[in-house]
Amino acid sequence: MKRYIGKRALSGLLVVLLSVCFNFTLIRLAPGDPIRIMAGTDNPNEEMIEALQQKYGLDKSIPEQFVMFLGNVAKGDLGYSYISDESVIKLIGEKIGPTLALSLTAVLLSVTIGTLIGIYAARKNGSKFDQFVCSISYVFDATPGFWLGLMMILIFASTLKWFPTSGMVNLRANYKGFAYFADVCRHLVLPITTMVLTQTPYYFRIARSSVLQVMSEDFITTFKATGMKESRIFNKYVLRNAILPTVTVLGMSLAFLLSGSVLIETVFAWPGMGRLMFSSISKRDYPVLTGIYLVTSVVICIAMILVDILYGFIDPRIRYD
Amino acid sequence: MKKDNVFQAAMRVLKKNSQLRMGVILLIVLLCIAFFAPIIAPCDPYKLYDALVAGPGTPGHILGTDGLGRDVLSEIIYGTRTSLMIGVVAASISGILGTCIGGIAGFFGGKIDRLISEFMNFFLMTPSFFLILIIVALFGSNIMYIMIVIGLTSWTGNARLMRAQAISLKERTFVKSAQAMGESRFSIMFRHIIPNGIFPIIAQTTMNVSSAILSEAGLSFLGLGDPNVVSWGQIIYHGKQYMPKGWWISTFAGVAVVFTVLTFFLIGDGLNRVLSPKMDANN
Repeated sequence: MKRYIGKRALSGLLVVLLSVCFNFTLIRLAPGDPIRIMAGTDNPNEEMIEALQQKYGLDKSIPEQFVMFLGNVAKGDLGYSYISDESVIKLIGEKIGPTLALSLTAVLLSVTIGTLIGIYAARKNGSKFDQFVCSISYVFDATPGFWLGLMMILIFASTLKWFPTSGMVNLRANYKGFAYFADVCRHLVLPITTMVLTQTPYYFRIARSSVLQVMSEDFITTFKATGMKESRIFNKYVLRNAILPTVTVLGMSLAFLLSGSVLIETVFAWPGMGRLMFSSISKRDYPVLTGIYLVTSVVICIAMILVDILYGFIDPRIRYD
Repeated sequence: MKKDNVFQAAMRVLKKNSQLRMGVILLIVLLCIAFFAPIIAPCDPYKLYDALVAGPGTPGHILGTDGLGRDVLSEIIYGTRTSLMIGVVAASISGILGTCIGGIAGFFGGKIDRLISEFMNFFLMTPSFFLILIIVALFGSNIMYIMIVIGLTSWTGNARLMRAQAISLKERTFVKSAQAMGESRFSIMFRHIIPNGIFPIIAQTTMNVSSAILSEAGLSFLGLGDPNVVSWGQIIYHGKQYMPKGWWISTFAGVAVVFTVLTFFLIGDGLNRVLSPKMDANN
């Protein structure tokens, strides 16, 4: 087991390094020059360009820049934003909280709701309920989240005025303590509902089809033939075997959580990682972009290893050596 | 079992499989709209009329006009062409790429397989929308570019399917006998392995059409669409500025997206059910 984890961590590190290298090169090869944005004028003079290039090390070749970047990362320094001169770690740190509040809550809610409905629908396979939920899940699966978000704002915020349209807090009122928490919750309702509605069908489908799959296995038929009670078979044997795909998918979604949802965050003007990334793309803020990419890929790598370890606990047939 | 021709066989499958039937009907409707767009559309989608942000039901503009005075209904009808093209081209790129790479990995095995699998892990670890976003935002938003990038970032699912198919097919007798007869490895792969293992990929590719359409709509919504074509994502993006007063601009374009994506989901899922009858709830 220990050797397995060590091996996985090593290959994970290699993949992270490769993908950061790829990303690093890609964004620096792209057309568009951050110097032009930093200089702030349409026609900056030559000395200014040179001074800025030297300050940020942009006059060096890309491999040299990459080695410098790696050296700094080893010291725990992800660099400074070209635009705001803040440290990248601080910028990311500010956005992680809001992103987790939104995406983590949404994922946990969707996986719970989706799995429960999925298991129930699979037990009542072919019933009116099953057919109804299946057709609804198709429709929400096909709905773009950002559009659903707009419709939510249109109906519940602009017309009915039940919830605020966007943002994370009411900037006019200076809430403290519990009032602040309540205000954030009010702002969370619409984005979370949107995300839950569009993500639940995914978990629903996986839970339903894997329960159906297990129920059609031979050993379940054998149990039925021995006259074991239907509910006992279901709770003890079907569920345990059917939960594995859900764990896989949940692990993947948790892994990708940190990069945030650009679209939903844009619709609701949520101050999260997705929007930070998008704004740093459009402003050619290389250090922030590379920093976000590094942090998310490390998290993804760790999450994948954790999921693999978790498998061993849920399904004792899986052994690593 | 009665022998009948392809058409009758298809009709029999359609009769039994309600998802597939619904999907095919919707697809025919969509294709008709895309094909006959110039006849159906009441106005030219690029023409700027005098009535700005006119509500639905305005004479001459059933679904109203947008902020520049373009007819929303005509824009949506022409947008069908863009969305279908992006979906089909992007999904085909990812289907062909995935089939070839996955087939090679599964059939050749050994070192090649290990190398390709590591490469796929690398792709799997990058959130694909993130990658699409970076590439399109940094390099430009030509529609050709968008299609190719979406295709290039979504092939891994197909490759995994094809790899599994190839691994199981290469042990079968007909492949072994082709090998014994001295057929070259590439010929075996393209003449036996791929044609016999392609069906799950066709179902998956249909699903990929949906996700490609959604990706393009998402990109356009962030303002990264190709400004030279009419697309539903761009109509929604444009309409967002006129919310809530001009609600119809975004609303109807979004309904069109849901409708189209649903079509391909239904077909893909229907095909999957035909392929694995065990899972079929209709039986």
